[in-house]
Amino acid sequence: MTAGPARPATPRYDVVVVGAGLAGSLVAKRLGDRGWRVLVLEAGTRTLDSWPGHLDALDTAHAALAKVPNAPYRRNPAAPFPDVLDLTGLPDGGYRADGYFLQNGPLPYGSDHLRATGGTALHWMGLAPRMHPDDFHVRRAYGYGRDWPLAYDDLEPHYRAAERELGVAGDADEQRDAIGLPFPPGYGYPMHKIPRSYLDSVIAARLDGVRLREAPDAPETTLRVVTTPHARNSTPNPGYDSGRGHRPRGAVGTPNYGERCVGHAFCVPICPVQAKYTPLKTQATWSDDVTLVAHAVVSRVLTAGNGRVLGVEYQRYDDPASPAHTTRTAEADLVVLAAHAVENAKLLLLSGLADASGQVGRNLMDHPVLLTWGLLDHPAGPFRGPGSTSGLECFRTGPARRDRAPFRVEIGNWGWSWPAGSPSGDVSRLLGITGDPSQPRGKGLFGARLRRELGHFVGRQFSFQFAFEQDAESRNRVTVDPRHRDRLGIPRPVLTYDLSDHVKRGIASAKAVSDQLFRLLGAEDHTAYAPGTSAPGWFRHGDGAFEFKGAGHAAGTHVMGASRADSVVDPWQRCWDHPNLYAVGCGSMPSVGTSNPSLTMAALTLRSCERMHRDLTELHRPAALRLPEGRP
Amino acid sequence: MDPHDPVPPPECPGFVDVSVRLTGFDEFTLRGTGLVRLYHDTTVEQVGRAAVGRFLDDLAAAGGDPGGLTDEVSRDIARAITHLWYLGVWPQLSRSVHAALGREKPNTAFTVSPEAYTEGLVWQTFHGHPPGAKAPGFGTWADPPPGAPAPARRTGEDAR
Ligand SMILES: Cc1cc2nc3c(=O)[nH]c(=O)nc-3n(C[C@H](O)[C@H](O)[C@H](O)COP(=O)(O)OP(=O)(O)OC[C@H]3O[C@@H](n4cnc5c(N)ncnc54)[C@H](O)[C@@H]3O)c2cc1C
Ligand code: SF4
Repeated sequence: MTAGPARPATPRYDVVVVGAGLAGSLVAKRLGDRGWRVLVLEAGTRTLDSWPGHLDALDTAHAALAKVPNAPYRRNPAAPFPDVLDLTGLPDGGYRADGYFLQNGPLPYGSDHLRATGGTALHWMGLAPRMHPDDFHVRRAYGYGRDWPLAYDDLEPHYRAAERELGVAGDADEQRDAIGLPFPPGYGYPMHKIPRSYLDSVIAARLDGVRLREAPDAPETTLRVVTTPHARNSTPNPGYDSGRGHRPRGAVGTPNYGERCVGHAFCVPICPVQAKYTPLKTQATWSDDVTLVAHAVVSRVLTAGNGRVLGVEYQRYDDPASPAHTTRTAEADLVVLAAHAVENAKLLLLSGLADASGQVGRNLMDHPVLLTWGLLDHPAGPFRGPGSTSGLECFRTGPARRDRAPFRVEIGNWGWSWPAGSPSGDVSRLLGITGDPSQPRGKGLFGARLRRELGHFVGRQFSFQFAFEQDAESRNRVTVDPRHRDRLGIPRPVLTYDLSDHVKRGIASAKAVSDQLFRLLGAEDHTAYAPGTSAPGWFRHGDGAFEFKGAGHAAGTHVMGASRADSVVDPWQRCWDHPNLYAVGCGSMPSVGTSNPSLTMAALTLRSCERMHRDLTELHRPAALRLPEGRP
Repeated sequence: MDPHDPVPPPECPGFVDVSVRLTGFDEFTLRGTGLVRLYHDTTVEQVGRAAVGRFLDDLAAAGGDPGGLTDEVSRDIARAITHLWYLGVWPQLSRSVHAALGREKPNTAFTVSPEAYTEGLVWQTFHGHPPGAKAPGFGTWADPPPGAPAPARRTGEDAR
């Protein structure tokens, strides 16, 4: 460094990671283990990484009227986040958005995220399937969306690394056999698969082997109920890792607790025993070279003028309830944005960086979800165990993708909680309490009749969740509007969102499949889509009307590609325009397939860590590196 | 035990009697929630002693059958107490009843306490447990719930 006017001392690190969520926690783990000095700046508070803080969140969730994903987590005006309750449907269709997201699209973006140490995966469901090899080249093979600059095979070893890190429970043989996923010979997951629910078994008994056409002229598809890989603790696989086995991680603050899923059926919004993976578990194993600073909202990435970035500017606050904060900077050789798909795009836009391609913020994707729901002819055992333990995987790929979005079918173990707010909606209805207090109320049932009716009705509930691949479209995007700022003066994200006809055709096909599934099951179908307060995602398509929900799977906002001309990050998630700026997370994904995205995101992130390590090593050569601590 | 020892009176006996009629659950189950006192106090606080008194009179006049209540205020109180027991949530009253009672508090629904959610009776109606509380244990979700047939087993699938 040349001598110049003295600058205020700014702490210097090898790496600054923005965000202590799933992606950021993995980066800090990997680079910290290699001896790099890592500073993690986290916008939210860290009340959840202590046992009392966890119990407080649990109480908050129990006391919440609506057990939505963000119910346990305290609002934070210094680092606001969206909530699914921010959206209201209008009586004749259309929607209103009142919360953190400003929305101006034809359809609402219906997913939330969480800003607190640990991030959105505090309230994720924890399903951890791999993407299908076909999902990586949808444009080449099926003529829609965008292709990855990588193939499944490039990611395969990193999938294994991610499964180790998250402690995934699954059955590789079944995944290979039923879905066609390639695994190396002899591979087993760290833990045995999560047992499937009674409901899964009933559905399997009635559907397995049945051949079905989604339309009269379509080819036949053979149905099969397949268990889903989960990032939640089941029985460790003694044969894992060449017979070394796997040691499950227990709860943060109470490590011998939560080593097994005990069936709390509360994974979203919070697993009481922490049997489900959260990034707090990775954080608990960070090396001493990792420093976490919470209450630190990054507002801008700082540049040197030569394309390289210098570090970040952040707003440090003490009390979430007070607007007081101080502006600080942190410098590092490498900056890694891991703030979630929407927030990463927002930061790049606010910093005016990485946008030579014009793609920053564009290609916003989610997994739009169609729910269908009904009653079995006998008790189904709803509200027990993880939210979904099995699914139908046969619509995930194949030639039909040319015409319509593919989909994964999750068998929903939690009754009608998502489609109809059960069981509280059922109690209200049977008591004659209508949603609108100005309307006259029905007479209502009481006593033994009420009890019997509820048991008979709620006890037979089940649902299907059809999750669609959404194609990357540049019109679906995140922008920022300086006229709308949060408490710290940072512009809030504006979302423009719609579904392509490809997706809408997928939704219509899935509904036709669902109709057949209900018939095959001999179940009473109660599915109905009507506009109104609780249906912001209601829309018409062709002759039909549908309603979709968000899955929480934000992706695509800093899209990865093979060319700097049309993508934001390279195959290492490194910004094309800035050699020492990475943007990691689902925001990099050019297509999302139909699998829940976080395992793929984790694999991609671990792969990027190798490149980050090489970048740092090159920068520091010939300085000797320390051996990673505690490693052979 | 000395039969001359005074037996302490049970807490809120009238409220429990009424709650048995409203919910269809017996006294033993209701008391087992540990919430009798809290629910009694919540009801009195929400609608006032006078309205509770009129409700009790109306219920007696209906022969103790909540289905026979004709007065809309009393019927809404019956709905509210039952809702409270089943879900731990005091519900919104109907707007006209809220006005008729001259309530000064906002007419909003709220969960009375975290335990109230946990002790909601609705879960028992179908042999369930409150999600996030009272976990039944690893793998229990694979077993048939009471009243359900064992699923037909396929070729060794899931034979745990
Ligand atoms: C209800 C729900 C269920 C889900 N279920 C599944 C599932 O079953 N399977 C699956 O694969 N995926 C699931 N997901 C998606 C999954 O949660 C996300 O893909 C994943 O958490 C994204 O990780 P991330 O690290 O990119 O972002 P996050 O986990 O959101 O972490 C970002 C972190 O950055 C911090 N941050 C944000 N802005 C700033 C800033 N300006 N400065 C500093 N820090 C900042 C945040 O506070 C947060 O800690 C679900 C999501 C939801 C909402
Ligand atoms: S089912 Fe219960 S114990 Fe298992 S992961 Fe979900 S919340 Fe945790």
